[in-house]
Amino acid sequence: MKLTRRQLMKNGLLLGASVPLSLGAAWASDVGLADDPAHGSISLFGVDRSTTELGQGLRQQGWTPRYEGRLDPLALNAQPAGTLATGFTDEAGLVLLTSLLAGRGRVLALGRHDAGQHRLLSHRGPIAAPLAVDAGSWQAALGREYARLATASGSARHRQDIRRPYGESVSATELSFLVRL
Amino acid sequence: MSTTQRILPKGVSEADFDAALVRFREILGADSVLTEGDQLAPYTKIMMAGDDKDYIPSAALLPTTTEQVKGIVRTCNEYKVPIWTISTGKNLGYGSAAPGETGQVILDMHRMNQILDVDPEVCTALLEPGVTYQQLYDYIKENDLKLWLDPPAPSAIAGPVGNTLDRGVGYTPYGEHFMFQCGMEVVLANGEVVRTGMGGIENSSSWQVFKWGYGPYIDGLFTQSNYGIVTKMGLWLMPEPPAYRPFVIQYDDLEDIEEIVDVLRPLRIAQIIPNAVVIVHTLWDAGTHVQRKTYYEGSDSIPREAIERIKQDEGVGEWNVYAALYGTPEQIDVNWKIVEQAFGKSGKAKIMYGEEAEKRGGGFEYRAALMRGDMNLQEFGLYNWRGGGGSMWFAPVSQAKGSETKDQTELAQKILGKYGFDYVAEYIVGWRDMHHVIDLLYNREDPEETQRAHDCFAELIDEFAKRGYGLYRTNTEFMEQVAGTFGEPLREVHKTLKNALDPNGILSPGKSGIRS
Repeated sequence: MKLTRRQLMKNGLLLGASVPLSLGAAWASDVGLADDPAHGSISLFGVDRSTTELGQGLRQQGWTPRYEGRLDPLALNAQPAGTLATGFTDEAGLVLLTSLLAGRGRVLALGRHDAGQHRLLSHRGPIAAPLAVDAGSWQAALGREYARLATASGSARHRQDIRRPYGESVSATELSFLVRL
Repeated sequence: MSTTQRILPKGVSEADFDAALVRFREILGADSVLTEGDQLAPYTKIMMAGDDKDYIPSAALLPTTTEQVKGIVRTCNEYKVPIWTISTGKNLGYGSAAPGETGQVILDMHRMNQILDVDPEVCTALLEPGVTYQQLYDYIKENDLKLWLDPPAPSAIAGPVGNTLDRGVGYTPYGEHFMFQCGMEVVLANGEVVRTGMGGIENSSSWQVFKWGYGPYIDGLFTQSNYGIVTKMGLWLMPEPPAYRPFVIQYDDLEDIEEIVDVLRPLRIAQIIPNAVVIVHTLWDAGTHVQRKTYYEGSDSIPREAIERIKQDEGVGEWNVYAALYGTPEQIDVNWKIVEQAFGKSGKAKIMYGEEAEKRGGGFEYRAALMRGDMNLQEFGLYNWRGGGGSMWFAPVSQAKGSETKDQTELAQKILGKYGFDYVAEYIVGWRDMHHVIDLLYNREDPEETQRAHDCFAELIDEFAKRGYGLYRTNTEFMEQVAGTFGEPLREVHKTLKNALDPNGILSPGKSGIRS
């Protein structure tokens, strides 16, 4: 029987269907986490190391990332109002995500992480972290910053370009997001 | 850099706008009037080569009923507040969900999403503008109706009403969407409601089956226009055929486009091949799942040598014709012989269907899905081809004649090459016409490249117009320029109608270059 998307969602069969066990295991063994989760859960999307690191940064600030696998904006759209979501996606995913949020959610922050720089856009006021790597990876620093923005009360639109260290290995442009449904 | 400056509609004072917002909240409820930056951010995402600052809304309104739309329109007239109407807001590459100009209030109809009627006997539907193809598809499946839809490529998330009103196309025999539209309910700028066709007759049973009604036929006035807000629309659905055979025909040389179109034309006009066929160039066929940088890192147009490598690696042709036959198995067998004979004559075509076509790769699987009206989002992969979030559809119309398609292909490649962009293109074959659809993909994060894309698109419009080719549709950045190519007499008629129907110019000012 071929189920429609609506039927899949009703039966809870769609979300998290592609969670790689290795990433879940990586988190389970995370160190340096906050003693108690202070903020509750946040949906975390993506399938590579950057996502793991982002999740680590969130945990350090008291969030509990819930791994959802590769971003499926249609599935994200079916989550309850108020859900916070973050992670990495590609150009196509970002187009779908922002488009589906029209009238349905809030874009708190977006990041474009190119070879030369990080370009961050916040709708929650200024971005504080320099994404320095002295306290771990830039993805973890981004996670900590997104953790802060998730609860920030600012409403100004703020754009900041941050130059990346010379010689930093970058294989491809990565796109990050922080949204609330 | 922080921005907190409040955006206001053009020519509207802060006090008047605040008063209008109070009224909107009374009509809709506070939760349905969006004014905060992070709520409005999704309405600012554009992919065309315009300045972000030119496309920021002052607010967004989310009605759920026709009565609310009437109230909004009356308030807009009182305070001279311009609104920009979207249905599901998925006109990606044509302006997306952003307003036509900064300060306009978005009228987002996506919460008006009721499927009001689906009649499986006469194969019709009556829908509100927020209904998506996925929603209608689910309804049909859950009710086990033997009906097919005709979605455009962003299928699942787009909606039949918005796509039809922008005169979009799909890939089944019902591909020319406006042709299969039947009856509308429209809120006019003065707040009155009109039902077109047979809809003016109270309790009419033929609103969704007889398009013309009585007197002048006016449904076309509400497509690609700003003369009213469509709150209900009827459309015809295709009965599921007993059999279906999608196939692909591959040609290896750029010049083959002439032969393809000349062979195809009589088959389309005679309805041997009944669907909206696509003739897809290598870079589109591969671009839905391959990234450019895998083959070429340069910032100029991708060279011939790289295109040849893509063809080899992906097993696709220079041109890839995706078409289908529909009907009983016997009808399909007969028509298949005609197709094979027609395309087999020159010996250039590689014709495939069934397992052979499925094994070939390329875009066959998702094309086969689209040609039977199934939901699919594969074409979003094109946005990963070059990266950077820039995409504009350049879509001139031609006759279905090989000489014209050859001319258009050469002209497009010449201009795109001059500006360093790739020819990522397909032809959609109508009954007698072709939509030449080119996705001008560029890096919006690079200001120089964005300016180059802008100049390229403007030159494409002008140079195509000089040879007699006009666009069937365009993005909000270029609506004025494209309207200019169709001549002043037509623009004057459009303006006269606008002044008569919307004297305060509150409905989507600038849509298709039309203003009061």
